[in-house]
Formats: sequence, C-alpha cells, structure tokens
Amino acid sequence: MRSVLFAAVVGLLGAAALHILIVLAVPGFTGNDAYTRIASLGDVQRFYPLPAAPARSGAPFSDDPALRIAVCALSIAERPVRLYAPDTVPFWSLGLFDRASNEVFSMNDRTSVGGALDVVVATPVQLNAIRKALPAELSQSILVEMADQDGYAVLRTFAPTATMEEGARAFLADAGCETIDTGATE
Amino acid sequence: MVPTGRPPAAAPTGTPELSAAAIEMGIDFGAESCKVLAGASGRGSLRPAPAVKSNRKAALFRIPLLVALALAITFGCGTLSAVWALKATIGFGSIALGPWVAFPNAQTDRADPYAKAHRARDGALLFGSAEGLMFRASHDSNGRTLSGRCAYDIVGLTPPARFWTLHATTPEGRPLPLASVLPAGLNSWTVLRGADNNATIHVAASARPGNWLAVAPDQPFRLVLTLLDTPTAGSSGVIDLTMPAIVQTECSDA
Repeated sequence: MRSVLFAAVVGLLGAAALHILIVLAVPGFTGNDAYTRIASLGDVQRFYPLPAAPARSGAPFSDDPALRIAVCALSIAERPVRLYAPDTVPFWSLGLFDRASNEVFSMNDRTSVGGALDVVVATPVQLNAIRKALPAELSQSILVEMADQDGYAVLRTFAPTATMEEGARAFLADAGCETIDTGATE
Repeated sequence: MVPTGRPPAAAPTGTPELSAAAIEMGIDFGAESCKVLAGASGRGSLRPAPAVKSNRKAALFRIPLLVALALAITFGCGTLSAVWALKATIGFGSIALGPWVAFPNAQTDRADPYAKAHRARDGALLFGSAEGLMFRASHDSNGRTLSGRCAYDIVGLTPPARFWTLHATTPEGRPLPLASVLPAGLNSWTVLRGADNNATIHVAASARPGNWLAVAPDQPFRLVLTLLDTPTAGSSGVIDLTMPAIVQTECSDA
C-alpha cells in the first residue's frame, strides 16, 4: 500500500513537471498563433483587410463591429519595411508585434507626426545605416527597431457609423507596407 | 482446487489498484488451499512451495505496475491540467473592475508563460498599449452568467478614453449568430446619452427602446468593451477607475 502511495506521489511530481514543460513549449508548437494566421493570408509586406467573420476556421477576422482592421506580415531580414497610411479617418492605431506576438511598438493618430502613419521598421544594423545617412523622404518617419526579423503589423480604424464605412475601407486600402531601399544595405 | 500460481498471473490486465488486490487475494487463496490440502493429506512439508512461488510472482508484477501507475498519473494529470489551464485562464496579471476583466500586459514580452501559451493557441489580435484596452465580462454585477434568456442594463460611465466600442461574442470569443440588420455593436459615437452624459444600454435578445445591443436568444454570451486610446492601458492607477455596472433586469422562464 505504501509503495502505491509512493508511485502516486512520484506520478504527481512528474505531472507537475510535464505541466510546466507543456505550458512553456506550447508557444513554439501551436501553429495557430497570430503570426502564422496572418502569414497564411498571402504575401508578406502587404496589408490585408480582415473580414467581419472568419473566412475559414483559424483565419484572422475583425470581431468588433465598430473597428476595421488590416494586417501585414512583414520580414525585415533583408531590407527595412515602411508602413504608411493617409490622414483621412478620425482614429487609427497601429500595433507592431514580433513573431512571438510580443508588442514591439504601438501608436495612434494622436501620437503620430501630422496625423498620418509613417513608420520605418528595421533591424538594429539597418537602423544604424539609416541614421548615418538619413534619406530626405524618411526625415518625418518614426524609426522603430525590431530585434526579430519577422513580425506583423495590425492597423485599426474606427468606423462608428455606416456612413464612415467607405472612408475606413479606403483608408485601409491606401495603407502601405513596403520594403524600402535605403541604399545603405550591404 | 489446486494451489497453482494462476490467480496472480491474471493480475497485469486489471487497473493498478485492482491488480494489487488480485495479487493479495491470489496469495491468500494459495495459503488457504495449502492448509486445507496439508490437513487432508498430511503431507504439509511439500505444500509451502507454491505459496512462495506466487509471492515471488507477485513481487515480479508489482514493480512494473507501480511504474505504470506513476507514468499514467504523470501523463494523464500533466497533459489534462495543462490543457485545462490554457483553456480556462488567459493568464495572470488581470485587472478586474466589477464584472469587467482586462489583461493590460497580455500582449507584451512581460506576460507570464500562461498568457503567452494562451495567446499562441488563441491567435487573437491583441491591442498594443497605445491602441486601447479590451475589457471582457461573462457575468453580471451579481456574478450570474450572462445569458440570452435574460435582459441586462449596462449603467454608468466608462473610464476616460477617446472612443469606446461595445459588442457581444460567444463565451469562446466567436461572433454571435445574429441577423445583419440587428445592432450587433454600440460605440461612443452612436450611443444615446441622457442630460447628465450617462448612457443606459439595454442588452437583450428582443428589441428595446433607446440603446439596444442585440444578443442571440437562449445563448450564453460575453460582453466586450474596448477603450480606444485610453490612459487606462498604461496606467497603474487603473484600480481606482470605475466601469459601468451590468444589471439583470428580467429573465424569461426556461
């Protein structure tokens, strides 16, 4: 009887260890995380407006009826990426996340320069090169350093009424997520 | 009845506890029949041998059984508890304001391992700290689970934010099955306010006058209140803020 109890205690200790192992290992193995879902939409470096209902199981969607969302999977392995959007809506916000869905940077129209979105995402090395010889067209841009080479950007805008729907859609369609040639990348 | 070592041989097929009992019983039977036979024939000197044999066999099966028991508990409990934890909790570090719960750090690198595992399984697009803060409520202010069978009033002011939006989802966070003409969401621009700037929002499956948020009849639901561009997200003084109360007004009998 005592040995059965001993086996149960050993089993519970093992269960605790396995529990911790699973919880720590899950983020690397789900294949269901936000980055994978966004990357499965199509090409990198392109904003995809999200539908109100998931197109298929696991696809990202915009669940809030008053928000319109576009997402862009980006890779800065070779060149920096520039995110831009016009100043045409009453509210927009940008969230930049790395591959593990950790927030790298976030802002909204109030914290931007002149109300328009203009952000350059670069690795520390690329950023050094940009700062050394800042191109004129990037002089107004917000420079963001991302240690991870892959990540995703989420652009949200507020569409409180049906009449603002068109403007929100046009805003997201005009938003850009493109690699830039700084001329300084070796 | 011949005292062979047969009863213990059946042991490995049962569950660990049962098998242990079977081993004990087997030994008992062996010893018992030993005595009977010894008394009847008077040749007791030959009889103890099978009992010793069955004891040894019992010991032989005991160790693997105990190892199997330990492994079963390890993999069973370890896996089930991990799956349960990731389904049931979003992680630590939540802010609860009445029935409303938010996770201001769930999207950051500082999130705990449970929050990171949950968001990796869930794949939701979380709000960055400069974007907004999402509050969820599954219960009313009296702790009763929100259900489409009942009607609720959301009363009171929201914390400071440039905009807020309110909508309902299923308890798993999926869209409610609603006709597209029904008001599935309200926001700070469309809500009707009283003279004191307060708004009362009626949440019900059937139409209400004033601010009406439609939910699916007879289904449990979750309310999601998103504050856009709010100082709440970055502030540690969030505990002092008040969120609107969710008051149950009526319930149709089941």
